[in-house]
Amino acid sequence: MTWNDFLWFAIPAIACWFSAGIAIYLRSKSTLADILMVAGIVIFASFIIGLWFGQQRPPLRTMGETRLWYSFFLSSVGFITYKHWKYKWLLSFSALIASVFVFVNIFNPEIHSTNLMPALQSYWFIPHVTVYILSYAMFAAATIASFIQLNKINKSNADTQLYRLMDNLVYVGFGFLMLGMLMGCVWAKEAWGHYWSWDPKETWALVTAAAYLIYIHMRLRKLHPKFTLWMLPIAFVLLMITWIGVNYLPSAQNSVHTY
Amino acid sequence: MWQYPWRYKESIAIIGGIILVGFLLQVTVGQFPFSLLHFPVNIIIGGCIIGCLLLFSTQRKSSFYRWFSGVPFSVTLIGAVLILGVIMGLTPNQQITTSWSFVLVYTLLLLSLGSLIIRRLIAFRFQDYAFYLNHIGLWLLLFSAGLGAADIKRYVMHIREGEVEWRVYSENKDVLELPIAIQLNDFQMEEYPPKLVVINRTTGATQPENKPAYLHLDGTAPTNHIRFSKWNIQLEDYIHEAIRNSDSTYHEVRMPGASPAARIKVTNIENKEENEGWVCVGNISQLYMTFNLDSTYCVVMTQPEPRRFVSDVNVFTEDGKETHALLEVNKPHKIGNWMLYQFGYDNDAGKLSTYSSIELVYDPWLIPAYCGIILLAFGSVCMLWIGNRKKRRTK
Repeated sequence: MTWNDFLWFAIPAIACWFSAGIAIYLRSKSTLADILMVAGIVIFASFIIGLWFGQQRPPLRTMGETRLWYSFFLSSVGFITYKHWKYKWLLSFSALIASVFVFVNIFNPEIHSTNLMPALQSYWFIPHVTVYILSYAMFAAATIASFIQLNKINKSNADTQLYRLMDNLVYVGFGFLMLGMLMGCVWAKEAWGHYWSWDPKETWALVTAAAYLIYIHMRLRKLHPKFTLWMLPIAFVLLMITWIGVNYLPSAQNSVHTY
Repeated sequence: MWQYPWRYKESIAIIGGIILVGFLLQVTVGQFPFSLLHFPVNIIIGGCIIGCLLLFSTQRKSSFYRWFSGVPFSVTLIGAVLILGVIMGLTPNQQITTSWSFVLVYTLLLLSLGSLIIRRLIAFRFQDYAFYLNHIGLWLLLFSAGLGAADIKRYVMHIREGEVEWRVYSENKDVLELPIAIQLNDFQMEEYPPKLVVINRTTGATQPENKPAYLHLDGTAPTNHIRFSKWNIQLEDYIHEAIRNSDSTYHEVRMPGASPAARIKVTNIENKEENEGWVCVGNISQLYMTFNLDSTYCVVMTQPEPRRFVSDVNVFTEDGKETHALLEVNKPHKIGNWMLYQFGYDNDAGKLSTYSSIELVYDPWLIPAYCGIILLAFGSVCMLWIGNRKKRRTK
């Protein structure tokens, strides 16, 4: 199997994922969405396996091949996390982002050949990035929830149910974030000689993690509820700086993370 | 304020004060003398920290201990780390990690986290496993990363092919002799197939300007031609390892001095005139070749990017052991507490580089740091699986 067969798998997989993302909201029982989601994952996985055999090497070399794994892991980890936590939006979100990566591969075929530099050729690359994308999704949802909660507090009383949801989102997001960072540490030791080099991206990742830690710890006590809630938007801004902003900072001109 | 139980005001006042003290120390005595933290000083300090924690734990019922290991103090400490981190992230020169303020906050974090762990270990509850994994993991990581920092040595060794080298350069460019010698048997590099592009012959700017059109030579591109202005440039043949013949054509030879070359057919769309010729990127052993379209533009080949580079080495240690290793980016080689990394090569020569640069990193504190990372990883999995469902202990 080669890239020429990609469309035959990509279109059905996207169709399955999209229908799953919509079906989950249409019916009270999630069986149909589950089946569609898994079907999409299986179809997509068969292409990856086919390509693996076709090229006689694991498809991990080019950017296009890397995107295949993003789609695969985002849809599968997203589905598992959804099954565990029952947040419907999570299924739709991971289906959507997984599809976006498939679309990039369909519409930008010349990007298949974008060469992966030696520093990025590692089995840590895909899990490192994938868990971060999932943690961003969780934190984005938690940030929205924090605004709703702030509004509720200003009007009347805090919503205990919403608090539970937010805390869970932050815990799950933080778990993914820490896994991303720890994988980054181990990878950094393999690639650059040390697990923590105070690279600007690392420094900002530490700042982001610290902000979420403040929220997590302040929630253990009932003091300063509004400040605690405001930590989530603040942390999300820091997260965006870590993700995107770092490349534009003067301090990051020598960063090893700007590719 | 200052009435037990202490909360945020007291915590902010004390940590603010400590950061201020750190700042004053900075002004009076300069940077924290990190080099003094070498073995065995760091072991002694580590022992003192653990001793203090154990001694302090006898007072764990006191209000002070509860505050020192409690939520407001730790939140304030994390806040201090956050602020120092932001300063560090905004300023290009990374001197913060060796500043007194940072070292004092770091030490307080070790002490506060340590006293919390001891308090909770004495009142052990199995259902708090996620707490133990995360907090002990973090403490272990901070302890070994902080105290081990001064013991880390990083050197670069440049070895010529076929020679043995034991002299290295430190970060200050001092030449040192190591108890490890490395023989470079071979340095090899594989390159990605490059691209063809039209450039302006005088300025060298890729065309069309701002959005250059590249013809990929790796066989994955959907078309094998590009259009520029009135020319259609068609790829006829590509040789990844080519040597020039006397008549300016190329043939395949697999040898280090070979360079990628492509045969193209250029059609002038206006007058249907066709021309064929070779384009070659060249290297230090053979000239490049371009294809002139007219007096302004020509077709060139881009520099190929490295796909992988490997140093085939033999490593000799003082005890007479000899090991063979293939060093590659992302694939280091471990010898005792030393790690050997493929670091660089002669960038101008590319795959014809006659030497390879190997980085040698010594970190005797790596194992405890990795134990911390593993504990934290398990703790993170617990967090994302359990979330905040668990009932907290009520006081």
